[in-house]
Amino acid sequence: MYEVRFHGRGGQGAVMAAQALAEAAVLEGYYAQAFPYFGAERRGAPVRAFARIDEDKISIKSQIYEPDMLVILDESLLDIEPVAEGLRSGGKVVINSTKTPEKVDLGVEVDCASVDATSIALETIKAPIVNTSILGAFAKIEDIIPLESILNAIMNRFGEKLGHQAGVMNSEAARLAYERTVVGRCRGTRKLVERMQWLPTWDELPPGTALPAKTIDGVDVGPGSAWQNFTGTWRTSSPRYLKEKCIRCLRCWFSCPEGCIDRLDDDYEKWDYRYCKGCGICADVCPVQAIEMIRGVHEW
Amino acid sequence: MSDAQMKTIKDMPREDYFVRGHGACPGCGVAVAVKNIARIIGSDATVYVPASCLIVFSSLYPTAAFKWPFLYTAFENTGAVISGIKAAYRRRGKETTVIGMAGDGGTFDIGLQALSGAADRNEDVIYVCLDNEAYMNTGIQRSGATPFGAWTTTSPVGKKIQGKREFKKDLGAIVAAHGVPYMATLSIAHFNDFLKKVQRAKEVKGFRFLHILTPCVPGWRSEAAKSVAISRLAVETGMWTLYEIDHGEEKLTYKPKMMVPVKEYLQMQGRFRHMSEEDIQKLQAWICEKWKHHYYEEIPVPPCELEKGRKDLITDEDPLHGV
Repeated sequence: MYEVRFHGRGGQGAVMAAQALAEAAVLEGYYAQAFPYFGAERRGAPVRAFARIDEDKISIKSQIYEPDMLVILDESLLDIEPVAEGLRSGGKVVINSTKTPEKVDLGVEVDCASVDATSIALETIKAPIVNTSILGAFAKIEDIIPLESILNAIMNRFGEKLGHQAGVMNSEAARLAYERTVVGRCRGTRKLVERMQWLPTWDELPPGTALPAKTIDGVDVGPGSAWQNFTGTWRTSSPRYLKEKCIRCLRCWFSCPEGCIDRLDDDYEKWDYRYCKGCGICADVCPVQAIEMIRGVHEW
Repeated sequence: MSDAQMKTIKDMPREDYFVRGHGACPGCGVAVAVKNIARIIGSDATVYVPASCLIVFSSLYPTAAFKWPFLYTAFENTGAVISGIKAAYRRRGKETTVIGMAGDGGTFDIGLQALSGAADRNEDVIYVCLDNEAYMNTGIQRSGATPFGAWTTTSPVGKKIQGKREFKKDLGAIVAAHGVPYMATLSIAHFNDFLKKVQRAKEVKGFRFLHILTPCVPGWRSEAAKSVAISRLAVETGMWTLYEIDHGEEKLTYKPKMMVPVKEYLQMQGRFRHMSEEDIQKLQAWICEKWKHHYYEEIPVPPCELEKGRKDLITDEDPLHGV
């Protein structure tokens, strides 16, 4: 049994990647399954998907807790999730990163393939959807499935769902990624992020399962406690505020879905980058171009 | 309400009752609407949300984004539950604003009977319909609010039928037929209009209905940054009309200077990408009828020539627009 766990963000196509990989395995004569983690995923939120490959029929249906291979579609997930949790010894990693494997700190020292999939995706399919590029990198580090089958699976899956042209562009992305992937060994100095284990049990809740605003074990629960979810890690581009151009019309303040724009006493604005998801509405509604979107996660 | 009437968004309070850290998609129209309603209503309110995107992204257990007391039960009973909350407060002698925030599925289809009941009994509550024109939370299924021609997973694009075949249900007319004290349609792109209507809804006694168009980035297949621009274009094309009915008196609160062809609105959204010229004309004809109904103005089909050299919509100088 060969098990792969995908870590990505909603909208990057982790589920499609898992499905394409499973299909490639089937083309190679294996049995395979692929499925997503079932949760309340939103675009930009951390998501997981799974793929299992075996020579015999697969009867196990659970999530994958001890993968042979990790496919990480977004490097920033390392800071907020215990991504490398459960990785088998001798396991391997594919990561979307601009760094070489030696500079990637995963928390465990393993064989690692790194590729700048975001740039490749922007180049080929003109959108930061990295699922197909990352599969090209997968073929480079792991020889269980050859590149040809992966490209065929991408053509089948994407071509069928999104049209022939999309299939061609996506398999081109995978081929390009295969060429540009760097294989090496990543570092293991990082301490894995701890998952928040605590949740109130039924007997801690008053009748009617109402949850009052209170702090338990240092965690705020109940009304207004969402401030603890720092959604700023979701963004791929960041708004920069040019105060000298600002006319204090407050359109951005009104239109920000996160409410992460602080309206100062004099009606100038200040961005709270801990929460900004980088949607770009503020820059779009600004009548005087006092806000510009810069690619990448920045703070000013 | 003790503080003076708020006229523009400059007068809006800074305090948030829908806090940062919720889990909505980047560019979510629902989040923009809810956050500003919360700012305008202020500290004293209780909110009920049925099954919808809003419940999912505002309350990732054990955290919650609303600072108000907050209740959640089933999909179909928003009208009934807010009536009950209000009754409980009345019994305790407490005066507070009770708000129900349902999606279009929970209002147009599943929750219609409870809505009708509450409107009929003239319960003293605010009912907010956050209309993103499909069941987005469960993965984009068609609802009564989905516009003609739009792709959803249950109105797919095939060889014989492309997208939804029915036109959007006129919910405003259904609610108005109950003779409710106050109802209004809102857009997140018309800030001051939005502010005025939510304030009015807060003042009025009895059943109040606010219907807000809230663009959905994944469901409409649109760009995250364009949610507000799309809302504005919806009004300019006539896909969405801004009006209020205050104790029987119907009033348009914003009228576009000129009707923009619906094509411009459709082009911004992937859910309409497949639409044939014939279907676009059909939709346009429907809009022209609607336009006539709301604005008492005949528009020949096909409508006005494409405007040449039209300025960016955002800079127009209508006093009700922007600031």
